[in-house]
Amino acid sequence: MNFVDRMLKIDRRIIYLILALVITLPLLFRSPQRIRVMHPVATLFNAVDSISPNKALIVNFEFDPRDLPELEPMGLAILRHAFHKRIKVLVMSLYVQPLGLAQNALTAVINEINTEAKTNVDSLIYGRDYVFLGWQPPPLVPILGMGESIANVYKTDFYGNKTDTLPLMRYIKNYKNVGLLVSLSSSDVPKWWLEFAQNRFGLRVGAGVTSVSASEFYQYLQTGQFSGLMVGMKGAAEYEEMIESNLGIHKRRKASEALPSITYAHLAMIAFIIIGNVGYFIKRRQK
Amino acid sequence: MKRTLPLILVLICGVLGIIPFLIPHPIVQTTDGFFRDIVLRIIGAFALVLGLGSLLRVHYDKIKRRQNNWEYSWVLIITFIVVSIIGLFGGTQGTGPLPTRIGTFAFDIQSLYLNIEVPLGSTMFALLAFLMASAAYRAFRARSTEASLLLVAAFFVMIGILPLGDRISHQLPSFAQWIMDVPNVAGQRGIQFGVVLGMLTTALKIILGIERSWLGGGE
Repeated sequence: MNFVDRMLKIDRRIIYLILALVITLPLLFRSPQRIRVMHPVATLFNAVDSISPNKALIVNFEFDPRDLPELEPMGLAILRHAFHKRIKVLVMSLYVQPLGLAQNALTAVINEINTEAKTNVDSLIYGRDYVFLGWQPPPLVPILGMGESIANVYKTDFYGNKTDTLPLMRYIKNYKNVGLLVSLSSSDVPKWWLEFAQNRFGLRVGAGVTSVSASEFYQYLQTGQFSGLMVGMKGAAEYEEMIESNLGIHKRRKASEALPSITYAHLAMIAFIIIGNVGYFIKRRQK
Repeated sequence: MKRTLPLILVLICGVLGIIPFLIPHPIVQTTDGFFRDIVLRIIGAFALVLGLGSLLRVHYDKIKRRQNNWEYSWVLIITFIVVSIIGLFGGTQGTGPLPTRIGTFAFDIQSLYLNIEVPLGSTMFALLAFLMASAAYRAFRARSTEASLLLVAAFFVMIGILPLGDRISHQLPSFAQWIMDVPNVAGQRGIQFGVVLGMLTTALKIILGIERSWLGGGE
């Protein structure tokens, strides 16, 4: 086998090994990277930031464990931003799988803030500052039903409390009292919010999506239907950058910490693609 | 009658699904609310039972006929039963009548989810990165002008979205963003128009009973 053939037939185990090394080694040495914030994330940040005090933010967790590394940092960053600004938050899912992850993210941020709180006013109190609505099947029911009455769709919250008895829900009745909904999803769910909730009730919608599904969402950002968009790990890192530089929130930046791994993995993939193409062109010329 | 009744039901439900978006009259909206909040949930509950029943039946048949990898079906059935019992009687937070803790070892739904499903799901998806790298190396060749264009665009987007791209040139992230904002959106919008028109046509054909393949084969 000559050199060109070797270029064209690199053993897949070598590819796997190199990729494993470039992904895992940077993770061992945590070094969050700074990143320039692009307009889709800046727009989303401003949309969350401008929610009026009498309105709530709905965070729709719609991802399962496979998308956790990309979408969870987005959820954490959004929640930190909202709670820092004292925006009231409702958390919900349309499917059952994301509930555990939603609860995990919510609990993490709440504990983080409450351990630093000195007074009752500084603390985040369930029912007063946030509510975990849980899920109600099938997905179309909450999307459309919450436009009329949130408490009617979610008669009890995730913990079994009667929703209409919670202080927050006395004035957050339907989409009229919601400033923005951010859907964190690896599927088409953000589009459903546009198709049904925005078209019919005028709900403002933002989205956080995975890199592989991102290309189909940009068109809704361009039309102004999405009030901002976060894409993949980079989008999450940009949001972390925004909350740190604008609000001074210095917390662990999971997405920014993962950027070196992604950088080296992308460079390795580009190198393999270039090697493959160089080999291909030399072989073609030889023929 | 076996075929006519479902067709009539689909026609009625299809029309009822469209009307509330066009007529804001309270009667229409209340009817829509009733169908959505009550009927849809009942149908959803039946669908859930049917789905779970069907899943169990498929795996039971697999075990009975000793089909390929039938042993794994036992794993599914046993897991299904165990998790259902814990979920129904232990509660998601371990607050139900069934004890879900032995000493420090907790096995409520949330603990099982975080300690079993999360690592398993993440591991499965992480493997995709290795397959993608290997596939990109083997298949991503500049064989034609179109493939070359795709390759160049992919190169700029991959580099441009990284912090490294910004260090190479401040224009690189903006160029990568432009590729996503303009050529990508133009292509996506074209595809989307096609998809939506296709969906509309198919939906109308189903509502009007022209497309009947969903009824299943045979009389």
